[in-house]
Amino acid sequence: MTESSIGLEILQEVTRIANSTLDLDETLEKIIQVIKNKMHVDACAIYLINESDGLLHLKASMGLPEDAERINLEIGQGVTGWVAKQGTSLALSEAMQDPRFVYFPEIEEEKFNSMLSVPILADCPPLGVINVHSIEKRMFRLEETKVLETIAGQVTGCLRNAIQFHQNQMMLKETQILYDISLAVQSTLKLEHGLWVILSAITMGEAGGFNRAMLFTLNDKTQQLQGIMGMGPDSQEDAVRIWAELDKKKGSLLQWVIKETQRDLYRDSKFNNFVCGLSYPLNPDDNILSETVLQKKPFNISRAKEHPLVNKEFIDALGVDSFATVPLIAHEEVLGVILVDNRYDNKTITEENLRFLARFTVYASWVIENSRLFSKLLDTNRELLSMKEQLVQAERLSALGEMAAEVAHEIKNPLVSIGGFARRLKDKMSHLAKNQEDNDDLKSAANYSEIISNEVDRLERLLKNTLIYSKSGALETEECQINKLIEESIYLFKAGFYEKNINLVTHLAENLPLLELDQQKIKQVLINLLYNSLESLSLGGMLKIQTYQEEYAQKQKMITVQVEDTGGGIAQEVFENIFNPFFTTKHSGTGLGLSICRKIIENHGGNIRVENQIGKGVTVYLHLPLQMGPDYYKN
Amino acid sequence: MESILVVDDEQNIRFLYKEELEDDGYKVSVAATGEEALQQLEKSIPDLIILDIKMPGMDGIEVMRKIKDKKGDIPIILCSAYGRYKQDFRAWASDAYVVKSADLKELKLTIKEIFNRRKAG
Repeated sequence: MTESSIGLEILQEVTRIANSTLDLDETLEKIIQVIKNKMHVDACAIYLINESDGLLHLKASMGLPEDAERINLEIGQGVTGWVAKQGTSLALSEAMQDPRFVYFPEIEEEKFNSMLSVPILADCPPLGVINVHSIEKRMFRLEETKVLETIAGQVTGCLRNAIQFHQNQMMLKETQILYDISLAVQSTLKLEHGLWVILSAITMGEAGGFNRAMLFTLNDKTQQLQGIMGMGPDSQEDAVRIWAELDKKKGSLLQWVIKETQRDLYRDSKFNNFVCGLSYPLNPDDNILSETVLQKKPFNISRAKEHPLVNKEFIDALGVDSFATVPLIAHEEVLGVILVDNRYDNKTITEENLRFLARFTVYASWVIENSRLFSKLLDTNRELLSMKEQLVQAERLSALGEMAAEVAHEIKNPLVSIGGFARRLKDKMSHLAKNQEDNDDLKSAANYSEIISNEVDRLERLLKNTLIYSKSGALETEECQINKLIEESIYLFKAGFYEKNINLVTHLAENLPLLELDQQKIKQVLINLLYNSLESLSLGGMLKIQTYQEEYAQKQKMITVQVEDTGGGIAQEVFENIFNPFFTTKHSGTGLGLSICRKIIENHGGNIRVENQIGKGVTVYLHLPLQMGPDYYKN
Repeated sequence: MESILVVDDEQNIRFLYKEELEDDGYKVSVAATGEEALQQLEKSIPDLIILDIKMPGMDGIEVMRKIKDKKGDIPIILCSAYGRYKQDFRAWASDAYVVKSADLKELKLTIKEIFNRRKAG
């Protein structure tokens, strides 16, 4: 067979192997086999450049001792390194004599005399090198070099396919994990649980694969980065145990990640407590965590000791020399930082790892943001509820007071008559008794009427004291803008209005004078009115709120708040009772509550008026005076 | 002799005020409702009106507004069994506010003050 037909044969076979569906390792083994057999060499090896350390690793070989697998060459080191660096082939008949030669006992190179080394080219730098060795001293011919270079070209194709395939696999895996995590995260609104899911994912072999993860959040007030959660083994032994357990937990990530029962385990872990005790100020050029936040970008620190932004204290606390940080960003605002390291297996953190981590932090940011929004919602609800409760409470008290006042009033009138006439009787008796000094009966009668009069006095004082109740709701007033209170009250109902499709129209007059108001109490009134409207507008409609200044009887300046709804109005028999506290409290406190509103407004010197248009809606007017009453009205 | 109109829905109170104030030398007329009071005012104008607030039908504050609209400057003393209306700015248009009591000292003093003010003014 001629040289060229051997070359053709080799190429045919290599092409066939390269296009088969074998995985990369098998493909390379097969190619080496063909090369070794057909080129009649004693050994053949393929070195590939490892992405993470940049060294040439022996990937497949034949005819070399087993120890050769351990060889990692730097680019430029030895003949192989030189070929990789230069990107050109090199044929040596006496390899060991060449100045570029570096001796590796693992390869037992003394056996071989000649070698041919060709680069596996793609771009610069090349992907790797193919070497063939011959014991017999020979000069590799140009044709042989060409054949091997062509094979290297095929290997490039294989590698590209493999890399593509690997990337696809990674992306698929990533997508699956991200999907699982997003499901898990969406299913919870509890901050701690959500973050726990994220950090679990980051530290699981399947997903992030980091040994440990630490989460810091930025406290806006103190401008400190505070450690709030740490996930990872406490020690090397712990790590081994956990990873062994992890291996058993096959199946969907989601399935076990959302189990809350495991939460206590992490909570009590030394590492978590350690992280929770960490806090760093947010200062530029001060520490790596700050820098991550301020620059809004991740850092992959491989030699922490030499890094200007990592101080010794920090390294000692972490116990590692390599780690990475990623900022947590939501709505362009940095919420915190996640720091990861591989303390227990010392694996290098690759750019791919970091990219993956960055994707996870998006979820962590969502979790934090969601729970922030949710807790804000809860606060609003709580405020509404407590307002409502205060109102119900006040209403009950007021109902009681109202009853007392009603009764007192009914008693007062006859008492005034009794007492008034008893006084007249006493005066007349005394007058008569003076003229008839010996008439003891008259004296007694005068005495009796005095007793009646005194007892009436006593009752009157008692009633007066009872009626002081009406001043019990003492006001804590300060100057304020009524529009502000209205806006604050409306804010609490925003969600409710939206949900019920209520069209809110506000016409709040500008530059209204300030009023002396008990803000809390007036807010209760407004909330109560809005609540009533909301109830009546269960099918949607319009709610119009206006404020304006006007005058009563061309004399009294006042500000009016007008709340108008299209809720169909109130049935006549209900309307007649809206200010009756007994009537409203019959509905276990969920009634209209207008009696207490009236009380509050009256205590402010104002009054409340309700217009009811059955079939249309209700308009409530709150009139609040701008001037106080004349002096003789103050008690 | 100064004349006073007493408006109160309680018959005994009207009677008590009439007796007491007549003893003090005033000419006293009475009305049981706001409507009745307004009718009387069409015929004769008193020098002072004592007006109960809480009455069936038109309440004292409403009656006062009508009187002030029509007759302008007749002094009015608002009277009520308790002080609640003191806080209602609509009541501030009156010349005085007296809480009802079996002891008529305060009422009588207020009447005197108003007449003295009138004489002085």
